[in-house]
Amino acid sequence: MADVIVGQGLTKVYGTTQKTYALKGVDLNVQKKEFLSIIGQSGSGKSTLLNLLGLLDRPTEGSLELVGTDVGSLSKKERAAFRNEHLGFVFQFHHLLPEFSVRENLLMPGWIGGQRTSTSATRARAGEMLELLDLGDVKDKRSNDLSGGQKQRVAIGRSLMNGPDIVLADEPTGNLDTMNTEQVYSLFRKVHEERGTTFVIVTHDRSIAEQTDRIVEVRDGVIQQDVRNEHLASPGSHPRAS
Amino acid sequence: MLSLRVALRFIARSRFQSLLIVFGIAVGIAVQVFVGSLITSLQASLLDSTVGNSPHVILEPAEKGGTFAYTEAIRSLVEDTPSVTAAAPQIVVPVLATKGGATASLIVKAGEFAGLDGIYKLSKRTVQGEARPGPEGLLIGKDFANTYAVAAGDMLPLALADGTLVDARVSGIFDLGVQAVNEGTAFVDPGLLATRLGLAPNEVNVVETQIDDVFLSSTVAEAWRTALPQLEVGDWQERNAELLIALQSQGTSSVMIQVFVVIAVMLGIASTLAISAVQKTRQIGILKALGMSDSSTGLVFLYQAGILGFAGTLLGLGLAAGLIALFSSLAAGPDSGLFPIDLQPSFVAFSAGVGISIALLSAVIPYRSTARLDPIEVIQGG
Ligand SMILES: Nc1ncnc2c1ncn2[C@@H]1O[C@H](COP(=O)(O)OP(=O)(O)OP(=O)(O)O)[C@@H](O)[C@H]1O
Ligand SMILES: [Mg+2]
Repeated sequence: MADVIVGQGLTKVYGTTQKTYALKGVDLNVQKKEFLSIIGQSGSGKSTLLNLLGLLDRPTEGSLELVGTDVGSLSKKERAAFRNEHLGFVFQFHHLLPEFSVRENLLMPGWIGGQRTSTSATRARAGEMLELLDLGDVKDKRSNDLSGGQKQRVAIGRSLMNGPDIVLADEPTGNLDTMNTEQVYSLFRKVHEERGTTFVIVTHDRSIAEQTDRIVEVRDGVIQQDVRNEHLASPGSHPRAS
Repeated sequence: MLSLRVALRFIARSRFQSLLIVFGIAVGIAVQVFVGSLITSLQASLLDSTVGNSPHVILEPAEKGGTFAYTEAIRSLVEDTPSVTAAAPQIVVPVLATKGGATASLIVKAGEFAGLDGIYKLSKRTVQGEARPGPEGLLIGKDFANTYAVAAGDMLPLALADGTLVDARVSGIFDLGVQAVNEGTAFVDPGLLATRLGLAPNEVNVVETQIDDVFLSSTVAEAWRTALPQLEVGDWQERNAELLIALQSQGTSSVMIQVFVVIAVMLGIASTLAISAVQKTRQIGILKALGMSDSSTGLVFLYQAGILGFAGTLLGLGLAAGLIALFSSLAAGPDSGLFPIDLQPSFVAFSAGVGISIALLSAVIPYRSTARLDPIEVIQGG
């Protein structure tokens, strides 16, 4: 199967006088439809790696290819458009827009992508998403008035609205309790199954990582371990290509 | 159009801040329009009361106390000058008027009524009796009439310089609004004095004229000076240099006030908008992370400023119109001592342009800082 992420020698140095080597030549290939987690201690470089993969940051050195595009050669504007079209983000602090309602937050990626107003197709998609995320009752509420779990579900819905090739999540359940955490991962799994979206999830929680198909461990800016997770004990899981 | 949609939402969700900006612009524009219109109208009113009822360019003989012939050639030169609206050839002589044992000196202006009326607006300014003096009549000012207890219809014998007595009857009393004139000037028909002074039919000692644009007087005077070297040509601007300087400095201070008001308002709006942009840093970062371009996010604040600027300007113009209407209704009252204010459409358009421009200019800093913001700063910051 084709690789949707091909990263080679990814290096990130912060600062000019006081240099911090956050990533030291990371090679990472991810296949289409993979469901993988990145783990590691605080400060090991997980977020740095994810931000590079998400085109939110540029590597100091190294090359990156996403869904067949050499993204290193894209302009700032093209990178923004690429994010909108191909990537979905879920952040630890959900990062919803408080001025907009739940439904509008879901429609935002489409609007940014140039859809003028909600066409019947996008409206239907938003409706499905609200259904899927169990947010039908709060769709017209402002995003600030939601619970933490609801907010994170909206953020997940938003990351999926433009039908991304890759969803990148940085500690998406870092602020949630066990029940909400479970809910978020079963949602990820469901979407992964139904749409075949590639998921890259950063977490410091080993028990969550255990539920993913592949675990990449980062330490001090290098990949220390990269393992296929073979024991699929939980009933919600499914066979996968590996 | 997402930038516009986001701008509108930001405005709606920061109602207090938005109102603050709108009112800031409104007050600034209202003050600017009101002060500008007030000073313009004040100057117009001042100018009108100073030179509205007096000659602008005058012709006199080169030699003081002499006379000259108001020939057909001079007449057509004067009357064919396009800006001339009135011309009054006159004989002006000092006389002594006797009333009940008292004598008072008067300057008598003898000329055709049409010409005098054109300059002094006698028909509108007669407060008692007839405006037209008639062959034996005499028009005197209200202050003279009060001092010497003279009423329309009274006889007022005049003694000329050589002692000749002329019988005259007061036919009307005028109020030209200037005390010196109301006290010491009289108007008569040319026939009353011509024969007694032994004058030729077109012999005069002054020709007074008015022109439509009072500030053209120097140009007109200059042209006549060249054409009539034998005469002395006078111009009201030469005789009122101090007034002109006063008007000019008043105009300058009016412009300064307007400029400072506009600058103060602009600084206020710029800082409020800058604060608002800082407050929206997180949202802008999120929008950029989701793929919104730098220019589109920058546009959000330009739209915001444009919309607030437009609303504030409209409100400000409304406010100014209200103030001016209030002032004018006060001015219209009896004895208000105030003058009417005109709202010039071109000045309103100018102020509207200023209002919207300062709002847009104030958005330059937010626009640039927004366009420059890197989404990673927001995403990392949490
Ligand atoms: N903007 C920055 N400027 C300087 N150093 C930075 C910056 N961002 C990250 N670093 C450094 O790079 C290293 C990796 O940081 P990173 O955020 O990727 O860690 P992480 O694995 O995500 O940690 P955590 O689990 O705490 O989120 C750390 O040493 C951090 O201090
Ligand atoms: Mg991190």
